[in-house]
Amino acid sequence: MLPADCSSRLVAELRDALDSCAQRQRQLERSLRISRRLLRAWEPAKTPVPEPTPGPETDEEVPSSACSPSPQDLKELELLTQVLEKAVRVRKGISKAGGDKAPTVKSESTATSPATRASTRLRASDWTGSHASETKPPRGIRQTRVPAKDLSEHRLVSVEDPACIGRGARAAKLEPSRRSQETVPLAAPQAREVFTLKDKGILLQLPVAFRKAASQNSRLWAQLSSTHTSDSGDAATTAKNHFLQKMQTTSGWPSSRLSPAEVEAEVGRLQKACSLLRLRMGEELTADPKDWMQEYRCLLTLEGLQALAGQCLHRLQELRTAVVEQQLEPWPEGRLPRASSPCGGGADTIRSPPLLLYSSTQELQTLAALRLRVAMLNQQIHLEKVLMAELLPLVREQEPLGPPWLALCRAVHSLLCEGGERFLTILREDEPAD
Amino acid sequence: MGRRRRRRVDPADAARALPEAIAVLTRTLPTGPSPETFRRAKFDRPEAAPALWRLLFCVLSPMPADGASPSLALEAQARSVKAALRFQGYPRRALAQLPDDGSQGGRELLLALAWLLARGPTLEQLLAQSRVRLGDEMPVCECESLASPGPAVPSVEADGCVDIRHLQWLMGKLRFRWRKLMASQQEQCALLGKIHSYTRGCHSDRSLGHLSVTETELLRDPEGGQQLLQRLERENVRLEAALEWRRRELVFWQWMDTVLGACPPEASQPTFLPKIPAQGAAELELVVRELQALQEELQGVAETRWAAWEARVGGHGPEWSASRRALQEAVRQDLVALQWAWERGGGLAQPHGPHRLVRTEAGAPEGRGLQATEVIEVLRSREACLEVVLGQLQGQCRQELARLVGTLPGLIWIPPPGR
Repeated sequence: MLPADCSSRLVAELRDALDSCAQRQRQLERSLRISRRLLRAWEPAKTPVPEPTPGPETDEEVPSSACSPSPQDLKELELLTQVLEKAVRVRKGISKAGGDKAPTVKSESTATSPATRASTRLRASDWTGSHASETKPPRGIRQTRVPAKDLSEHRLVSVEDPACIGRGARAAKLEPSRRSQETVPLAAPQAREVFTLKDKGILLQLPVAFRKAASQNSRLWAQLSSTHTSDSGDAATTAKNHFLQKMQTTSGWPSSRLSPAEVEAEVGRLQKACSLLRLRMGEELTADPKDWMQEYRCLLTLEGLQALAGQCLHRLQELRTAVVEQQLEPWPEGRLPRASSPCGGGADTIRSPPLLLYSSTQELQTLAALRLRVAMLNQQIHLEKVLMAELLPLVREQEPLGPPWLALCRAVHSLLCEGGERFLTILREDEPAD
Repeated sequence: MGRRRRRRVDPADAARALPEAIAVLTRTLPTGPSPETFRRAKFDRPEAAPALWRLLFCVLSPMPADGASPSLALEAQARSVKAALRFQGYPRRALAQLPDDGSQGGRELLLALAWLLARGPTLEQLLAQSRVRLGDEMPVCECESLASPGPAVPSVEADGCVDIRHLQWLMGKLRFRWRKLMASQQEQCALLGKIHSYTRGCHSDRSLGHLSVTETELLRDPEGGQQLLQRLERENVRLEAALEWRRRELVFWQWMDTVLGACPPEASQPTFLPKIPAQGAAELELVVRELQALQEELQGVAETRWAAWEARVGGHGPEWSASRRALQEAVRQDLVALQWAWERGGGLAQPHGPHRLVRTEAGAPEGRGLQATEVIEVLRSREACLEVVLGQLQGQCRQELARLVGTLPGLIWIPPPGR
């Protein structure tokens, strides 16, 4: 058995590591659930719908849920109409360009026309956010006559905005008149077709309201990160500093006192320094100097590294005395979450997140796997240091040679030297055979 | 034309400026207390206290990204706020002496809030933390993995002795969890790849090209999409308020000066000082030991080699001293650059923070963003470094144990088969 304080420290560290793993796993599983669901067939929305109406051309459908279009809706409808008209023009251009487009279009239409029919009916019948019993496609689907592979802007845009319920009826009126040139207007109810991302993902389009909000969002973020300096900014900064100064002086504490956050940050920096110095030392030691000049440079570097290590140590000892001097009050229980990570506090994150471009799933998987591996190694190294600090003294102190000590040695060896994966064997030579 | 600009602010404007500034501030804060609360706080009214405790709790504890944290009682929030403020070095002791039940202390809390706002880009950081993420994001640095895990967990360890086998069991559990994590991560990447490729060309923003999971989800589930849209719009409101706050905050700071002036002066003799948590102290010790070990190693290595070098290379002519000086200068600059890497956060040269994943065709024109191949290279070299470090540590342990056991006769030490 290990002594109590050693036990509790080690168990706490290991539990910490286990918890952070579990947290990552939870996040991943959440994402996995969502992604899996997206790749399956999409379910229709929940709310049941009254019976579907027949052809869209025939009626001016009032949505069953009262939602009178607002002026904003009408405006958006205007935009929608314009886009539709443009799309028709473009499409006319395409169909003129390639004579064989029509047949391919027809054959494509087996894939798209159910969607077409469905969404025309969809628009006509219900805008309550639910689907007709046989219609399937989600809000964002749009009709396209162009083969799915031809990804371009020649798409007939019929944007169904989930945000506005009342619009669809009006759109329904406009849509069919365009559509009737190309599609076979179908009045017969169709069998339920299923929307899968794989087949029809290309048809999706984000709703207008969302797009507007998203672009406004990124614009505002850009503004926020750029207006750091201005006239009023300077005056405000002076006022802020003045206020902080006054807070400090009225509190009666010396301003040179370090806060725990600062101490922690500095210890972190010095730890990073240690690893960088060690890394550099390793590089210098593995390098093979060929002549006396290179050797001289190598030795100078090692000397410099030693001096830097000394400086860091000195700073740490200063911090240590400061810490000791200030320990006068019991600390409230519970561990505090760390102050904002150096990453999140940077000004860079205030802008929209930059892009990370990958070109294949393989690449993405490699990237993610490496990230996890690096995180795991960091954790292992930390645990290794902690375990070394706690367990090696135990082995040193316990001199009795009995089996418990050997068992301890074996376990410690496995933990410290093999990452807990393998065990060594210890044979005693003078074991009396009975 | 008339005078467009006045030197002195119209008193009516001035009277309005403060409430407007406070109103803007409340619009940008997460749990938005009412402006009335601020006014009450100046006069130290007790009813202002709970709202401010909650606000401070919101500001100080980072919002966990996954789901809502269980909402704590006011007392627990108050304690957590006090601890966090002390951790950051908040100077006023009066706050520490406030009762935890949230019945008093409006003015002190207001001062604490102002202190936090004055010290750093608090508002921007708050906004960035709770930001609506529309893309599939992946961090490209390790900063978050090195930070400690989220909310404060009270240590409920059974404080008894454990057997070392318990530790071995925990290590095994940890290894298993990592393996599972790896597998889940691979699956998630495969799914992401599919979703990105199935929705290519759908995004209105050409530079992105395809939809993200969030965006696709909003199309699949219109109700969820509604909620997302509302969150986005709420965030836009807060962003606009934050921008406006920058123009109006001066009058707030002038007002805070008066609030501070209204406080009774604190006793000049400090009786309590914050204690650095024991956990921090332990870490400090670890680093001290590491540095000491490093120093000894460096010394040991250098001594013998210097001696050898001196023996081979005796005195030399003038060109020797010139090249010597050149080398010294080169090494000095080298080391300064190295020092920069840890002192000024020299890691800023490397990309940080979450990046939005975008699938492109290979060989697409550069300049749009970070390429995955670059990040992979950086990570590979990082992995190699870390493996070396781990190997060194394990080697050290092996040597140490072999030394300890080797002194004992009659034992045969059979290491496990190598990898």
